[in-house]
Amino acid sequence: MLGQLIVSGLAVGACYALLAIAMVIIYKTSEVLNFAQGEMAMISTYVAFSLLDSYHVPFEWTVVFTFLFAILLGMFFELVFLRQAKDPTVIGLIIITLGFEMILMGFAGWKWGPDQRSFPFPVSNIEAYNFHGLIISKINFWTILVTLVLMFVLFLFFRYTKLGTAMRATQQNQLAARVMGIRTKWILSFTWAISSMVGAVAGMLIAALGVLDPPMMMDPLLKGFASGVLGGMTSLPGTAVGGAMLGIIENLFGGYVSLAFKSAVAFAIIVLMLCIKPSGLLAKHYVKKV
Amino acid sequence: MHQAKWTLSETLCEKGLTYPLTLALSPVGRGQGWGKNLRKEEDKKMLKRTLVSLSLLLVAIFLMSAPGSAQQRGVTDTEILIGQWGPQTGPAAPWGAVARGTDLLVKIINEEGGINGRKFKYFLRDDSYQPAKTKAIAKEFVEQVGDRDPRGVFAVVGGVGVACGMTARDYLMENKVPWCGPVTGVYEWITPIQKYLFAIYPLYDDEAFNLTGYLYEKLGYKKIAMFYQNDDYGKQGVMGVERYLLKKKISLVAKISAEVTDRDLSTHALKLKNSGAEAVIMWAMPTHGALILAETAKIGFKPQWATSNTLSDSALMIQITKGLWSGMINSNFGELPDSNHPLMVKYREAHKRLAPQERWGVFYYAGIIFAEPFFEGVRRAGKNLTPETWISAMETLKNWQGIGPPITYSKPKTPMDRQGGKHVFYGKVKPDGTIQKLTDWIQITK
Repeated sequence: MLGQLIVSGLAVGACYALLAIAMVIIYKTSEVLNFAQGEMAMISTYVAFSLLDSYHVPFEWTVVFTFLFAILLGMFFELVFLRQAKDPTVIGLIIITLGFEMILMGFAGWKWGPDQRSFPFPVSNIEAYNFHGLIISKINFWTILVTLVLMFVLFLFFRYTKLGTAMRATQQNQLAARVMGIRTKWILSFTWAISSMVGAVAGMLIAALGVLDPPMMMDPLLKGFASGVLGGMTSLPGTAVGGAMLGIIENLFGGYVSLAFKSAVAFAIIVLMLCIKPSGLLAKHYVKKV
Repeated sequence: MHQAKWTLSETLCEKGLTYPLTLALSPVGRGQGWGKNLRKEEDKKMLKRTLVSLSLLLVAIFLMSAPGSAQQRGVTDTEILIGQWGPQTGPAAPWGAVARGTDLLVKIINEEGGINGRKFKYFLRDDSYQPAKTKAIAKEFVEQVGDRDPRGVFAVVGGVGVACGMTARDYLMENKVPWCGPVTGVYEWITPIQKYLFAIYPLYDDEAFNLTGYLYEKLGYKKIAMFYQNDDYGKQGVMGVERYLLKKKISLVAKISAEVTDRDLSTHALKLKNSGAEAVIMWAMPTHGALILAETAKIGFKPQWATSNTLSDSALMIQITKGLWSGMINSNFGELPDSNHPLMVKYREAHKRLAPQERWGVFYYAGIIFAEPFFEGVRRAGKNLTPETWISAMETLKNWQGIGPPITYSKPKTPMDRQGGKHVFYGKVKPDGTIQKLTDWIQITK
């Protein structure tokens, strides 16, 4: 049972990590916690669902179009809502993301209805691989793999590309970055676009694992946030580690202590980490701006 | 001025409230200083005249007013106002279809000319499954809706959610608003007995008790586990299952709960598998139903599943579980979606015509099931519709049946006299999502 709980924990932790990565990308550049992340991912997943179910678009093309939509959605939100905010504080921007979240939730209910749907996905969520008695479903396996690859690509992007460096510079000091010739407004839009795209990946995988309905991202978003806090909100590898750890801790707690309080573990971790190590496990330092 | 004050206070004591009129007409009020005897005689005459005038005025007002029913909240000569809340947005939104189903029945009845010469005006409000909103909606229903005084609805029909309904129950009862068919099968609607509240939904406790009996006695499953939602709905299911097993001197091999917001049920599935259960009874919401079946299938655990009528929308369930719902045994509180029952045929035709955008699913036509007895009560109450006449009419329903279970009410001596639906039938889900009927209507509540 222990081995199976750990494997299942890793699988669900990969989903948390994907959402955490999406949140971290934005946090790294703007210090804004995007509470609309889950609903942005949900809307992108519904778009993918419509393409697959209503227009019978092949899956590969559906992914391409969905990414395109997610990019546009992220840029739209940044341009239309956040950029228009007058003398915005970080708290003000976070409140705007909460408002956008509610708008998207209402829109999804109106457009696609409240009924649960099955998300068509090329990998089965029932068929499983059996590694010496440890069972992992094919979709869980692919989720872990996708998370690792995505995290690695993003890590390389932030570390070694000019654009990634510009994004980090914008986060550290927007004025200095502008003086150095970085078009910070454009960088911010680009950040939201990438984050929205990563969220869309998370949304499609989570829908394929369970069901597609408007509130499907509420729980994963909170867990993703907890993963970010655990691993470090400015560290991409940290969020991946945080997600995996959270998934495993939750499963072990549910398996050996109490199922009723399994979900509460994530929130206990948030409180504990903020008290003991606010920067998270893998973030190198915690910069407090004044 | 001083004299006028004295006269007023004296008269209020001696002659009651009629005096102010007299005061206005009497010279005493103007303080002209006539003799005391003369004044008393004048006063008496004036009082007599005033009383006669007032009586005539009262009779005139009484005669000029519309018939008595116009004074009744939510009822006019031509209209009856009714309301229902239901989650149209938020996590519980799929159950919001119930309130829209009632809307279809209202349209059908209005198309047929209404009942006793009155048509129905239906107010549907979205409470998002949030009790605080439900309470506000209940207040709106009682105090604000409608465009003439006294404002408010005549009755509330349906209403999804235990917690939501509980925030409104006492308020509706205090205001003597009839409430027919809350859309949950819990004891809270009938205990303590409420004069104005008529429950229809079969009780979860009794439903679970009998479903366990069906698995244990008819199908021979002795090792039974339970997967349930950790709230009143799930707990009353557990209560019934354990009550039955206690009778047989055995207990559940596993009792696994899930929180409403949980989306990862892998641990739950593992615990169910390790229990060695032959059959698992599920008292959960559709999303959890789909998730637990997928998780158990992944780890190769395939018991006989059985579930409550809240998951009897098998067309939806077979679709979201990618076929895993096949073989599920469930209880049902209404005719099957493709039933040839004459009323079902009529409602399906009306649905195509009046609400083609809606899916003809169990949750949708449950809105008809929980409203039909209300309208029958209105029909039997006749032209003089008041809460009291409606209650008397409802208490004459004996095994009355629409497309739901047979309904019986009596004068309330025990809580069960206000529990209308006491029957369910069992079915088994086929691979195409249709249900094969296993039994006829079975009485589950004595």
